[in-house]
Amino acid sequence: MADEGADAARPGEQIPGAPRRRRRGPTRAPGDPRNIGWLYVLPGLAFYVLFTLAPLLHTVYYSLFDWDGLTAKTWVGLANYGEALHDSVLRDSFVHSAILIVYYAVFPVIIGLVLTAALTRSVIRGFRFFRTVLFLPQLIAGVVIAQAWTWIYATEGPLNRFLELIGLGSLARPWLGDFTWALPSIGAIGSWVTFGLCMVLFIAGVQKIPTSLYDAARVDGAGPVREFFAVTLPGLRAEILVAFVLTTINALRSFDIVYNTTAGGPGGSTLVPSMYMYQNAFLYNRVGYAAAIATVLAIAIFLLAAVVLRIGDRGEHQ
Amino acid sequence: MNRRLLGVLVLVAFTLLAAVTAGAYAGRQATTTTLTMWSYDNQDPGLEPVLKQLSKDFEKSHPGVKINVVFKSFTDLVGTVPRALASGSGPDVTEGNQGYQTDAQLVKAKLILPLTKYIKKYKWDKLYAPSTWGMFRWTPDGKSFGKGPVWGIAQTGQNVVAFINRKKLIAAGINPNKLPRTYAGWERMLATLRAKLPADDPVIEAGNKSGYGFIHIFGGIWGAYVQPQSVRNWVYHVPGSRYDSAGTIKALGRLQAWAKAGYFNDDYNAVQEDAAAGVFAKGKGAMWIGGDWDSTIIKEGLGAKNIVVTPIPPGPGGQWASIGGLSGPWHISAKTKYPDLGAEWLNYVITSTRAKALMFSQQQIPSDKSAKAPAGDAYLGQVSKAFQQVANDDGLLLYTDWASPSMYTTLQNQFQLLLAGRQTPAGMAKAVQDDWAKFDKTLR
Repeated sequence: MADEGADAARPGEQIPGAPRRRRRGPTRAPGDPRNIGWLYVLPGLAFYVLFTLAPLLHTVYYSLFDWDGLTAKTWVGLANYGEALHDSVLRDSFVHSAILIVYYAVFPVIIGLVLTAALTRSVIRGFRFFRTVLFLPQLIAGVVIAQAWTWIYATEGPLNRFLELIGLGSLARPWLGDFTWALPSIGAIGSWVTFGLCMVLFIAGVQKIPTSLYDAARVDGAGPVREFFAVTLPGLRAEILVAFVLTTINALRSFDIVYNTTAGGPGGSTLVPSMYMYQNAFLYNRVGYAAAIATVLAIAIFLLAAVVLRIGDRGEHQ
Repeated sequence: MNRRLLGVLVLVAFTLLAAVTAGAYAGRQATTTTLTMWSYDNQDPGLEPVLKQLSKDFEKSHPGVKINVVFKSFTDLVGTVPRALASGSGPDVTEGNQGYQTDAQLVKAKLILPLTKYIKKYKWDKLYAPSTWGMFRWTPDGKSFGKGPVWGIAQTGQNVVAFINRKKLIAAGINPNKLPRTYAGWERMLATLRAKLPADDPVIEAGNKSGYGFIHIFGGIWGAYVQPQSVRNWVYHVPGSRYDSAGTIKALGRLQAWAKAGYFNDDYNAVQEDAAAGVFAKGKGAMWIGGDWDSTIIKEGLGAKNIVVTPIPPGPGGQWASIGGLSGPWHISAKTKYPDLGAEWLNYVITSTRAKALMFSQQQIPSDKSAKAPAGDAYLGQVSKAFQQVANDDGLLLYTDWASPSMYTTLQNQFQLLLAGRQTPAGMAKAVQDDWAKFDKTLR
């Protein structure tokens, strides 16, 4: 790409020796992108600007006001951000999110890798069936998942019944109403939802690893564990990265499952930033502050995604 | 170029067609007047069938009028109604919610009409005691609660009371016909029940998942330790009001002690309030303390004869008190084309003899203080009497979450922490007062 760019003339420059011809627009060397390209991206770009960029900028704009969402706005500059900085509730909600990242991102990637290793090493009957079933949680609406798990976690629900059945009745508890266990319980739902996505990504990735590498490893006497760490894991680096970015973003903006299982309770122990944003915008009539929280959350997501990608890039150059 | 022109022409043709169709539709609509009402009284059995039936009756007596009552859940309605009204395509008549979270907003943004004119026209002032009207009064800037014009009117009375399982009282050696009349006696009764009931059966089956369960239960204890008027003053932001008073802290301490003594089922934070009433109706626990709007659920489960209904009795002051007030306030949209017709509908569903009879048939207490429960229904008599007992003693404490937009969440979190032993009574009182004070500053 770089060589090509050096040789080609910049748009607007005359190429020496080329026949002078009147054209519409700037002169263009063969192979240079034509302006008509913009026409092709226009519909997509228009939608992106209209429904993603504009609301984003709008949110940032609102965050500079004290506004109840209905009556006149009052300009407060960065005061909402100042408040966010000292808001212990917001800080706690980010801590909860950090814990959720372990459940939404780290566990699913590990489970996905283990399953991938198991599913690809030997031919399993009904492989496609398992793959589909394990991916299914990704396709179910969050509200439905939350309802189903609320039932599973209920005092008289299947989880407690099962614990009693195997003689662990002392562990049975109202999972979602328990200060210690509510957050991990929500996290477990997250792990269940996302590991299928990771697995499908990894299985697809494994298929592009040359089989000769596996053959070589086996000839060298590598066992399944060694083979996994020497061949599979390095081969899946790009997929792992993508999985981490996607699942981390999922963890940070998780709203539907929290809202529909605990709504942030008990005692605020499962409150996440998106839930807190919702409370401020729609319950406390503080749209400006909610917009500031949304902006902080967006920045946090950008930064975290950038860090994950950066770590991945560094690995590539080594 | 021609093809593009053709495309434009087709588009224009379709737009015209759509406009013409819409116009024709609007033309046809003009012959009937449709009023849209939003309500969160979606309990069936309860108020939903009452409102539906009354609206049908209203349509019959008003040819050409169509009443479209839309039922939503409480959170759904409260979360969307300000923006729906502001958009101009919202309901003509709607329920709001007393307090700073919703009604203050609607008044301040000029989305609803003051009802002064209709109060005179329909003589609504006779419906409630003068002090009761406070919960519908706002100054037009939405800042002072309990003062200024009236903006809403409510259909039913609400009261938090104890529903007690008669058989379990008898089994514990307590005479159901001679229940304690003092708070001290009430505490002794709870202790006796705890001692006599099997260990896995709670004295009080409680639900607190939505967070209002303990806000409601606490009212009866609170009323035994503080003056009801001081609670209402605090809700109305009367200067100098405080939550962190010695009486409140003592009362919070009692609630915490109830939890420590094992009076509640241990899954209260995972069970919805109404669901807990259902569990109690199936025979779990000796009592359920909650809103009388759920009385039908309990009656259908336990049977009317097996239930005793009473508010938590008063402390040394002797004044009966509990969390309660009137149901959600009905408002008339400032943007409706038919405010007079809306008011007429309100008058019909709230004050007519037919309305009151239908409400009683669903075990709902009409807000009209002159309404008399039909004789012969002992259970309804008990529910009605419990409401009168508190209302006539001027002991309805209102709902404490009205005190600020974030008060509901604050109380929800603090009660959950307090009950779990993760917060002290004094610590909770301070946290709640801080929320109040922070909001109070924005009102001055």
